[in-house]
Amino acid sequence: MNDQPTKKILFNKSTLLSLKAELLKKQEEVLEKKHLPKHNLELFKPAHRSAESESKSENKTSTTSFKDKLKAVDVEEYEACRKAKQVLEKKAELYKHLEDGAGDSQLAGHFLVDFKSKKQETASRPEPEPEEEIQAPFEEDQGDWIEFTDFLGRTRKCLKSDLDYYKRRDEQLMKMVTNESNYQDSSASDAQSSQNTTEKPFLVQKTNDYLQLLREKWEKKEQELLGKDEDIHYQDLLFDEARIHGVGYFAFSTDETERRKQMDELLKRREETLKAQKLAEETRRKRDELIAARVAAARARQRIRAGLPPEDPEEKKKEFTTCLLKFLTEKRDEADKKAKEEEKKAREEQEKERQKLRDAYVREWDIGKEGNEDKPKKFREMTQEEYVEQQRAKRIDEFAPVKSSNSVNSTNEFDTQGRRLNSNTDTVKVKTWSDVRRVEAPAPPVIGDISDASQKGLYFSTKKNEAILKYKNFVKAQEPVPINNELSDDEVSGNTRPKPDKRKDGEEYVEIEPPATYDYYGPIPKNRKLDKPFNSDLREAMAQGNKSLERKESSRKLPEHYDFTFD
Amino acid sequence: MTSSEVSYTNRKIISEDLSNVEFDTSEDVEVIPTFDSMGLRDELLRGIYTYGFEKPSAIQQRSIQPIVKGRDVIAQAQSGTGKTATFSISILQSLDTTLRETQVLILSPTRELATQIQKVILALGDFMNVQCHACIGGTNLGEDIRKLDYGQHVVSGTPGRVFDMIRRRVLRTRSIKMLVLDEADEMLNKGFKEQIYDVYRYLPPATQVVLISATLPHEILEMTSKFMTDPIRILVKRDELTLEGIKQFFVAVEREEWKFDTLCDLYDTLTITQAVIFCNTKRKVDWLTQKMQEANFTVSSMHGDMPQKERDNIMKEFRSGQSRVLITTDVWARGIDVQQVSLVINYDLPNNRELYIHRIGRSGRFGRKGVAINFVKSDDIRILRDIEQYYSTQIDEMPMNVADLI
Repeated sequence: MNDQPTKKILFNKSTLLSLKAELLKKQEEVLEKKHLPKHNLELFKPAHRSAESESKSENKTSTTSFKDKLKAVDVEEYEACRKAKQVLEKKAELYKHLEDGAGDSQLAGHFLVDFKSKKQETASRPEPEPEEEIQAPFEEDQGDWIEFTDFLGRTRKCLKSDLDYYKRRDEQLMKMVTNESNYQDSSASDAQSSQNTTEKPFLVQKTNDYLQLLREKWEKKEQELLGKDEDIHYQDLLFDEARIHGVGYFAFSTDETERRKQMDELLKRREETLKAQKLAEETRRKRDELIAARVAAARARQRIRAGLPPEDPEEKKKEFTTCLLKFLTEKRDEADKKAKEEEKKAREEQEKERQKLRDAYVREWDIGKEGNEDKPKKFREMTQEEYVEQQRAKRIDEFAPVKSSNSVNSTNEFDTQGRRLNSNTDTVKVKTWSDVRRVEAPAPPVIGDISDASQKGLYFSTKKNEAILKYKNFVKAQEPVPINNELSDDEVSGNTRPKPDKRKDGEEYVEIEPPATYDYYGPIPKNRKLDKPFNSDLREAMAQGNKSLERKESSRKLPEHYDFTFD
Repeated sequence: MTSSEVSYTNRKIISEDLSNVEFDTSEDVEVIPTFDSMGLRDELLRGIYTYGFEKPSAIQQRSIQPIVKGRDVIAQAQSGTGKTATFSISILQSLDTTLRETQVLILSPTRELATQIQKVILALGDFMNVQCHACIGGTNLGEDIRKLDYGQHVVSGTPGRVFDMIRRRVLRTRSIKMLVLDEADEMLNKGFKEQIYDVYRYLPPATQVVLISATLPHEILEMTSKFMTDPIRILVKRDELTLEGIKQFFVAVEREEWKFDTLCDLYDTLTITQAVIFCNTKRKVDWLTQKMQEANFTVSSMHGDMPQKERDNIMKEFRSGQSRVLITTDVWARGIDVQQVSLVINYDLPNNRELYIHRIGRSGRFGRKGVAINFVKSDDIRILRDIEQYYSTQIDEMPMNVADLI
């Protein structure tokens, strides 16, 4: 007995550390695989496992069992199983060899297991049967029955006398199976059904392999990109994208120098093409000229032969008309140009004005930025009322003072001219003369319905409504009424003359006879003519209409030297 | 009588309440019918044509010029009509490529969209040697810093990471002259607005701002004066917002469970080209994906709870056409452009009207045909009718020959 081991197992800190590191790495790998989503390719398995679990539910058994049969063959799993088995077999062989050799073998030094001492340890124990082990015979009533495990791992029972026969059969089977390298035999029992199912997983396997390959390729490309300290171009990011490009598309190389070369080549070709095009154009023009000259000469010769005078005068005539035409078009173009220029000028000026406004504008989000310090004055300062209004807008309604009865309609609305809309809603108010004047109810104001929530959102119309400004909490000041006729007894009639600017909505007023004032009875100044109602003088109205028409006409003015004869 | 004027003088305009103002397309918008007549630089024109654009779309004809001129622009256009290209072209035209500093910042709501914009900028500017970086979350911070230090003309990113980079002074803002908010209504919504404000505060004052989206609700238009100066508006009326090319249908189901069976029946139609299926929650996406895979249908899925690496891979697979059916959430609803998608299924109806437009707009890209199918339970039909009415569009019951329309 050799007490000295053939090889000392030496270990120090570093080996332990590296072992630990290895262990951690493996653990991490396992964890990572666990956390990957289910449809990850590596974990992709046709779904028969879950189908199996489902088969537990009774009502589904009939259908799922059939499905199970269909999916029974999983190429991937089978392949893995076979591989593992092979490796194990090889390992077993090696072990056997090492054990037999027990240290004599040259390989012995390579392994951490001390086979020599192991052999000594196991020497006393009975050797297990290598392949088919005959279990301890059952001591039962039928004492001659014996159990054995066959090649496929099944436990079988047979008569002791038949054991040899069965063993031989088993060996035969083993030979047959190992010769048939394919895996199909395992599912030989349901051969017809497996035929089409083996095909599909195979296809799945193929596409999965392909996808995996692509992913690896992309991964590699991405790594390359990360490492690349050069410009990145479209080609680098394409990743096999199926996109239709224009006809002029050229896939440049992802290599920088190669790309530059290709780019230069492309430029060169382009220039050559342009040059060739120009040349071709020139030659064509020359040829056309030549042909035209030849045709003219031939015609002249014909005319001479026929005894006719040369063509010149006719041509001159023609030339004259073309000249005239040219002249006229030139004139027209000039006029057009002038008009356009003027328009452009006006627009430019307008644009300049707007640009000034734009430059002065400070955006809310820009307030307080560094560059804005030099134009703080341009920031519009709020007036006290504006500030109060803003603060009120921010206030939570619940904290607002109790609304009194006359502040119910405290939203006052004005159009851009500052005229009040919805003024008839102000109920509690001291009436002024301007109110007294209104006999008819005013027409409803033209506004988008504020209360209609559905109007909000993406609603556009081509019609432009008048802009409406809304004021909350606006305190309506009493409109002072100018005193025109203090001396008159008839107060009411003293103020009824409508102001000229309110003419537009004339139908809102009732016609009342003119007041007896100096203004009315006195001498009529010439500029007062316009104040007269239109229907009082038909002729004047006509004249007015004509005038306005004329004005419109003249606004579409033509240049003085415009040639009417042309068009 | 001066006293009569007194009452007028204290009526000062306080704060304009814009809720009743109708926003209209600006009057002085010029229409330029070809790319050639836009006065773009040669290299850019070449990039435009090689990318596949031949004639500018309506929004491109109107918006490129004002953006190039430096005006603030609010641009709205139907989905898939080249909005991204619109601002990309304008950006590229106004860049100074010799200056290796960030001159334009583009913000978008999802990482995938930011990456896509980066790609478009690089494609259109392929002949200009433009550098554009996607500054998005879920990626390595160190790499981000390194790339920004390398010098990028344009940065396309999501607000969170961009703000982080600005605060770290890795992303220098002093040369930034334009801020673009893609999917502007989403970016100025409650969830994002504060982040946008944070970023905006670091930009030079009066930076040019461009807002782009297919949907621009009134509330968004109202608030634009806070960070824009006299913007030019190019808007679309809401009854013109749905595209003729996208046919919309619905399938009425009595119970939620039947949606799954309907989807299985439709699977062959889905795979004619590529399809996107929208669910309202991440959990439902996971559930549906698992159920489809159990039934042996090949599908892939994507949502915001996945690791970024996985999201990237799913996107690449879908873009390359390797996967044909994608089950996803609203993370995919806006802006993502995959040409081959011709069918969108709303497994659940979207939570608002705007999202409906964005979801169905994943199909029918740049003039292609598209089909949208809505799965509706009996109580959902009312919502669908509301959408139909709101956009003045037509959503019929799905015909048998729906496959012919794709």
